[in-house]
Amino acid sequence: MINLVYNEMIKIVRKKRLLIIAAIIAVLVALFTYAQLKRVQSIQEQLGTTDWRAQLQQQIIDTQNRLNSSGLSEEWRKFLQIRLQQQQYYLDHDINPSAPGAPTFMRMFAENSIDLFIPLMVMVIAADLVSSEASGGTIKLLLTRPVKRWKILLSKYIAMILSVSFILLSLGALSYLISGVVFGFSGWTLPLLTGFSVHGEELDTANVHLISQWKYLLMEFGLVWFVSLVVGTLTFMLSVLMRSTAAVMGIMLAALISGAILSTMVSSWESAKYLFMVNLRLTDYVSGMAPPINGMTLGFSMTVLAVWGLAALIISFIVFTKRDVY
Amino acid sequence: MTNGNATLVVKDLRKKIGKKEIIKGLSFELKKGEVFGFLGPNGAGKTTTIRMLVGLVKPTSGQILLCGYDLHREFSKAVRQIGCIVENPELYPYLTGWENLEHFVRMVPDIPKNRIKEVVELVGLQNRIHDRVSTYSLGMRQRLGIAQALLGKPKILILDEPTNGLDPVGIREMREFIRFLAEKEGLTVLVSSHLLSEIQLMCDRVAIMAKGEIIRIDTVEYLLAEQERVIWKVEPLEKAKALLEEETVIIGEEDGTLITHYDAEKVSLWNEKLVKAGIKVSEIHTKLPTLEDLFIELTEGETID
Amino acid sequence: MKVNVVKIIAALAIFSSGLWMAGLGLAIKDQFFYEASSPVKKISLENVAEEKEDGFHIVALGDSLTRGTGDESGKGYVGYVADELQTKTKQTIRVKNLAIKGQRSAGLVSQLQQIEVQRQIKQADIILMTIGGNDLFQSGEALSNFSLERMNQAKADYLRNLHTIFKTIRHLNPDAVVFYISLYNPFNDLTDAKTTSAVVREWNFQSAEAAANYPNIIAVPTFDLFELNVNDYLYSDKFHPNKEGYKLIGERVASLITFTEGDEKND
Ligand SMILES: Nc1ncnc2c1ncn2[C@@H]1O[C@H](COP(=O)(O)OP(=O)(O)O)[C@@H](O)[C@H]1O
Ligand SMILES: [Mg+2]
Repeated sequence: MINLVYNEMIKIVRKKRLLIIAAIIAVLVALFTYAQLKRVQSIQEQLGTTDWRAQLQQQIIDTQNRLNSSGLSEEWRKFLQIRLQQQQYYLDHDINPSAPGAPTFMRMFAENSIDLFIPLMVMVIAADLVSSEASGGTIKLLLTRPVKRWKILLSKYIAMILSVSFILLSLGALSYLISGVVFGFSGWTLPLLTGFSVHGEELDTANVHLISQWKYLLMEFGLVWFVSLVVGTLTFMLSVLMRSTAAVMGIMLAALISGAILSTMVSSWESAKYLFMVNLRLTDYVSGMAPPINGMTLGFSMTVLAVWGLAALIISFIVFTKRDVY
Repeated sequence: MTNGNATLVVKDLRKKIGKKEIIKGLSFELKKGEVFGFLGPNGAGKTTTIRMLVGLVKPTSGQILLCGYDLHREFSKAVRQIGCIVENPELYPYLTGWENLEHFVRMVPDIPKNRIKEVVELVGLQNRIHDRVSTYSLGMRQRLGIAQALLGKPKILILDEPTNGLDPVGIREMREFIRFLAEKEGLTVLVSSHLLSEIQLMCDRVAIMAKGEIIRIDTVEYLLAEQERVIWKVEPLEKAKALLEEETVIIGEEDGTLITHYDAEKVSLWNEKLVKAGIKVSEIHTKLPTLEDLFIELTEGETID
Repeated sequence: MKVNVVKIIAALAIFSSGLWMAGLGLAIKDQFFYEASSPVKKISLENVAEEKEDGFHIVALGDSLTRGTGDESGKGYVGYVADELQTKTKQTIRVKNLAIKGQRSAGLVSQLQQIEVQRQIKQADIILMTIGGNDLFQSGEALSNFSLERMNQAKADYLRNLHTIFKTIRHLNPDAVVFYISLYNPFNDLTDAKTTSAVVREWNFQSAEAAANYPNIIAVPTFDLFELNVNDYLYSDKFHPNKEGYKLIGERVASLITFTEGDEKND
């Protein structure tokens, strides 16, 4: 089995996939670092202060003013309401949620890329794991070895998991190193708040507790990993079902983008919460953001994702071991 | 009926796709050290049969034994006995030839490391083996494909249209190589082709396939010998024809010649009769038909290229 | 060579798989099985009050007038005051505009309870504020559907709140001058202008009376500014001032502010 996984890793590495992904991440991190720097500067300029408390207070006032203007959509109002309460909570407890530093940037980058960017990168790896062997004809050579088919597929699946882990590692490392040049490398031990839960328009703070940033980051990366595995498994299934890598990517892309759009506008379509793509923003539960549909919780979203992932895995193995290869 | 040294046994193999039966009950056996040809036009079912032999496609019914192991029940042991190229020799283009071979060695537990070097030398790829496969010519890929098939020291080598796309020199080399493997290494080789000339030159036995069925299996010599013809150059043609028709069947008439079947004992008698009747017999010779003639005869004119 | 790269990547991948798995476990433990123990400590004013940036601090409190609603440049009178003051001093003018659209006196009272707001008031050099407009004009559509009883009730509530506001500000910051900007009558041009003007004048009078009870709280009149040609100075909603209107208010307030010697610009 180790040999089989090693084979798959060689193929992934030699196809330069990981390198390309790392390069994309590096470019994007650099871009976001610059954007974040500009944002910090413009806030300072606009508010005439570098005092985070004053800045946060100003954000709260801005939000309150926006809440008082007419023509806000219901979802947006709710989102602002929850964020407002949370910002007030941070302020009341004298904790800066965006203290500058590379770890803070890492956290924000992970939170913002969990539902689209990271899944896209995972997709690039997983989409052609099986379909490229089918379209390139090499599947015939793989399957005429004295190795059971399920073992071959399992080796590919393990290689997918390893690649996902590696992508996240490069994402963490690159975002830390690149943003650290600008924002400084410290901030691992800053305190952050977690344990918020959202009931309707109210933010429940009964279980809120302090946790240092490194722990918070580890938790968030764990959740990002979970999401990536589910997206990877779904892509993997499509890769088993279809010969064309382009078709696999197309379908996944459509699903992911529709998820990103849907989650901003599904609050009235209750059963959309069973779609995997509106459940990707797991880190929002940790940071206490309002979920896209009322009543969604971390447990719910993780269960939905797990069910989708498990179903995809089962389908992959059944189809791959049973099917005739032409 | 199973022979003691039969390495590949197929019994009543069938494949249905949807409602269409593509392979309609094939049975045959291959002996150690022979080169066996699958001959048939495109769409006859050669590739489908080969896919079933190597485990890529599940037969609807029937049995396949590879060196005595049932492919269905003892997949790993059975597949361990074979090496194959199905259709084109597709390898990983972004790896070198050597890395491709290493890749497949890793999938089989008991291949010694130096085996790669052996097969590379066997197929004569030493010079380019460390180049990426994407830079290889088709002939080189074909050789690498064979190297890959030989890695596990198989007892049976299965090649689907191995000369497809090769130039005449490549075709000859391939043919000689296959004969070499069968004669010197004692491999059983199954080769499919839609090209008769090729099968005729390299195979010991041939199965002629059309529309999912085997029409005929026999040694090449026998198939041809059975159909040996006599060509008569005679004058006047009409009179000779009338006389010969009394004795045998005229199967053809070509620019001043008549063609009959060959019968070693009677040809001289027929000649005597013609000469006695005052017919001028300027030439009598025998001719072996090509498999092509035979094929057209057997498949009743189905097209072939 | 190349094999080594693959091995290194594989090793890193295995290591990080473990790391992320641990993270996932931690997340599950922390999010699902957290036992609320000691609540997170709240901020107290004493701990944070000392940190003060340099410069001249203006804190603006109140409603949409202070926010600047109606001024397309977004500055509002606060912005014009700050611009004007910047020409007079070498110090950096730092504005903290804490006004909220639609805020009434009761809202401001509770806003003043927030620690961070208190901290900013404590650090203020001057305080600008408008309040009461929403109490007056929106409490039971006071002016269009005039009901004396309701009006008096609203005014009594407002004045009580105003006292609390002034008291709180003075308590937090005894020194900063507070400019309380009083109301103008946006309906000056309409048919019952006489009635509405009387109501606004009375309202302003009571507010000024309240301000007079506290040192350094100055009620700045704006009624006269909008008395003539009111429509030239009103935004299209016929309620808030437009850019020109805000400039008028800004100029008036700025003219009241002088700097101590040494801070003045000598150019
Ligand atoms: N996947 C498939 N689905 C349906 N029909 C197929 C499939 N593959 C092959 N066939 C049909 O089976 C027949 C035999 O095909 P094939 O084995 O490729 O022939 P050959 O290799 O002799 O040219 C053809 O008629 C072809 O149309
Ligand atoms: Mg074929």
